Amino acid sequence: MKELQELARTLLADGEVELVIGWEEGRRGARPAFITSPDDADRLIFDARCVHNLATYLSPRRPQVTRLGKLALVVKGCDVKAVAGLLREEQLSSDRLVLIGVRCGGVFEEPALKDPAQPTSETVAPRCYGCDNREPARVAYLLGEPQPEPPMPATTIDDRVAMLDALSPDERWQFWTDQFSKCVRCYACRQVCPLCVCEQCIADKTMPQWIETASHPRGNLAWNLIRALHLAGRCVGCGECERFCPVDIPLSLLNRKVQQIVEERFDYVVSDDPERPAPIGDYRPDDQEEFIK
Amino acid sequence: MTIYQPDLVTVVDVIDETPDTRSLRLEFQDEATREAFGFHSGQFGEYSVFGAGEATFCIASPPTRPGAIECCFKLVGKVTTALREVDIGDTIGFRGPYGNWFPVDEWRGKDVVFVAGGIGLAPVRCVIWNILDRRDEFGDLTIVYGARTVQDLVYKRELQEWQARDDVTTVVTVDPGGETPEWEGRVGFVPTVLAEVAPSAANAVAVICGPPVMIKFSFPVLEKLGFADDAVYTTLEMRMKCGVGKCGRCNIGSVYVCKDGPVFTAAQLKKLPAEY
Amino acid sequence: MSDERHADELYLTEESLTRLVDELLTAGTEVIAPAVTGSCASPAAIASAACLRPGAAPELIEYAALHDASQMALGRGLPNLSLKGFFLPQEEALVSWRRRGTGLELRGPRVDAPSRIALGVKPCDAAALEIVDKVMNWDTKDELWNGRREATTVFTLACPVEDESCFCAAVGGTPDGTRGADGLFTPVEGGYMVQATTDKGRAFIDSHLAAHAGEPAQSDSLRRQAAGFRSAARERIAGHLAIDGPAIRDWVAANFDDPLLTSLGIRCNGCGACTSVCPTCHCFDIVDEPDGVSCGTRRRCWDTCQTGRFTSHASGHNPREDQNVRFRQRINHKFAIYPLRFGEILCTGCGRCTRVCHAGQDLVEILSEIDDAARRGRPAVTADSDGGGEG
Repeated sequence: MKELQELARTLLADGEVELVIGWEEGRRGARPAFITSPDDADRLIFDARCVHNLATYLSPRRPQVTRLGKLALVVKGCDVKAVAGLLREEQLSSDRLVLIGVRCGGVFEEPALKDPAQPTSETVAPRCYGCDNREPARVAYLLGEPQPEPPMPATTIDDRVAMLDALSPDERWQFWTDQFSKCVRCYACRQVCPLCVCEQCIADKTMPQWIETASHPRGNLAWNLIRALHLAGRCVGCGECERFCPVDIPLSLLNRKVQQIVEERFDYVVSDDPERPAPIGDYRPDDQEEFIK
Repeated sequence: MTIYQPDLVTVVDVIDETPDTRSLRLEFQDEATREAFGFHSGQFGEYSVFGAGEATFCIASPPTRPGAIECCFKLVGKVTTALREVDIGDTIGFRGPYGNWFPVDEWRGKDVVFVAGGIGLAPVRCVIWNILDRRDEFGDLTIVYGARTVQDLVYKRELQEWQARDDVTTVVTVDPGGETPEWEGRVGFVPTVLAEVAPSAANAVAVICGPPVMIKFSFPVLEKLGFADDAVYTTLEMRMKCGVGKCGRCNIGSVYVCKDGPVFTAAQLKKLPAEY
Repeated sequence: MSDERHADELYLTEESLTRLVDELLTAGTEVIAPAVTGSCASPAAIASAACLRPGAAPELIEYAALHDASQMALGRGLPNLSLKGFFLPQEEALVSWRRRGTGLELRGPRVDAPSRIALGVKPCDAAALEIVDKVMNWDTKDELWNGRREATTVFTLACPVEDESCFCAAVGGTPDGTRGADGLFTPVEGGYMVQATTDKGRAFIDSHLAAHAGEPAQSDSLRRQAAGFRSAARERIAGHLAIDGPAIRDWVAANFDDPLLTSLGIRCNGCGACTSVCPTCHCFDIVDEPDGVSCGTRRRCWDTCQTGRFTSHASGHNPREDQNVRFRQRINHKFAIYPLRFGEILCTGCGRCTRVCHAGQDLVEILSEIDDAARRGRPAVTADSDGGGEG
């Protein structure tokens, strides 16, 4: 922690960056911190409560962050994949950004726990199981001690996806329509997703109106399916959509299923390598099709 | 029937003003509504094409000519695209009149200066005809109207009619580069032309409506001519849905544009946060 | 506070309440109450990672129109969504149309709703109804809202104070409040002490509830128990947050461009979850849904000032382009605009927005900071600070 605070202080004091985005202690647990003065650097923390994928603040949809200037972002290994996604899709230029990697042995499901102990199989975020990037590469600085493998949760996300796969199509349909019927169409899932970067989301388009706005079953189904499909081969599995969902729709299960299909069909797993092209959903500013923008 | 249920109106005339601007003349289908309907200059309505939704425009015809109402719209979004598809005899919806209005009655005995740009002439035209229809009650009238190009001038026939009258000074201009070889009017931006025309501010009010940049540069010209901020009136365009102060969309600072506006004086505007 | 106003309280046992609700449901009366809508016993348990943990048994509590009295879960925590959806539904038809030849037929919804009863309502959720009444009734009246308001008899349930994000007392409420309601339940041993505060509430007690109420020997001690529950809750909430509402109102209105107000939203993701769960956020959208070419329905649905779409013009111009100014609008609307316009803070201190915000935006902290600035009459932080880190 000291190491992190020291580094942030130096980067800010030397004018290397104008802003450090990391985590701090809030009244209700860990939360994103925006540090612009070296004097505030000791607010920064890192422990298993730092669950937020801060790469979401790098989105070009956030001019209030961009305006603050060059920044350093504190990232876990999983978060780096989201940064790589943004670089891959040319939503971000790497010269705007300094990555401070932190070694991570798994985070909790929620940032609210008071005691920042090591996560156990009861408290660990299921997505951490089988983590392939405990020691983030492709970062300018790497901090912290080497970490053990995150514990295995009682039920993994893959277990739950398998449970759903084991249902009959009718039962599975019922399951998802029940889940989507809870949707209030707040679009929290989209807003917090580090990879939802469209200048104009399909849900906001009116000419033509692809998706009905009202939160009835038809509109809800269309929105939730399209959101999941737009992340095929792009979703980094950070689970922020599910964590932010005010009505607890298990979006991770849907996202995971889609990534399983992508892996099966295209032999592709989302990685932290920005150079590795995605099988679908690739984007280039010089794309000849206008609609893609 | 709720406050959100529109009245049905029949399209009785369709007039193409410019390639992307069109006027519709509308008549209430229900006879009692047609008889009872009244409004003030500057008020707006929600016009709807069923299936596309509602759009907000001012009523562009004057209250002095009852029987039908007119609106003028530019092709920009989903509803206006659908509105362009409607033809004479078709049925659309109308809710209104909503909002406040230009205090035309308070201006009796005063000179009135109209400054408009592009489609911004629509709400101003409502006031112009209102005043021309009661011409004796007012002092000198001056109209300064401009558009980007000759093609973009709306209400072309009426501009000629006003120019032909000797009880109103009408100056029509197009932005530099927007003129055609046949163009006999002025060439220049509205604020510049307004400064040249230089209407007297003594015992006068100004009504201004147009693109934000035109308004921005015309305010200082009016100020220099001696118009006080509370003698300059404009009408705000804001995204609205309900039109009746419920849906929260047009809220700026402590103002609900649909209820406290759309008509504001420059003095009132200066007190508002710049979120419009 | 003296508890004289509670002198005519009736005692209703849990069993009697169940019988009363069953009787109402049998008679076809809609009964709205907090209910367990999802738990680890349901087939949807696969959805909840928490359910799959050994020994886990979390419940999801929502206000629901009950099917039977056993669903009722009074006093088991704050429902996830507020009660507002029963008055301003997530989506509802405003008008439907059908083309007939060249003509068109319109049909509006019914504005008179059948009588219904809401029980176990959190005082902060009931108070919100009366606050939102103001905007629904200035000048033009929203018949759909009013119809549901008139049709509903609301009884609050005295709240023990949920957690540190509650602050009803700071915005004029109280955990045993009956604002926006017709009466109050207070939990006591074996049941509730019940009292009406309006004619509508008294009518309900006389016609339905009184028959089930008992007059137990220990009624004095039950009354004391109820009074003790209420005063303990009031004491508990008093320590949470204290703000000067009028000072905040005037300061926010006068300091729109203050860096404090524009920096508050820095970590906000603009997800709109706060406005969805808020009992007082009432902004809505109106959308047309064609059903084929000849008919369709115009609906209104909840909307949120936290997305760019809310204010973007068809021309592409958007007066609130950035998230930080959208966040300021939410604060401004609740604590300055609405109070100036309607004399009410558009917030009842339920704390849902804080609890639902996974980015850590914390209304208690934010109000403390603005209150601090308002009392000192000058900005609390500079432009480059994020305004965080109170703890």
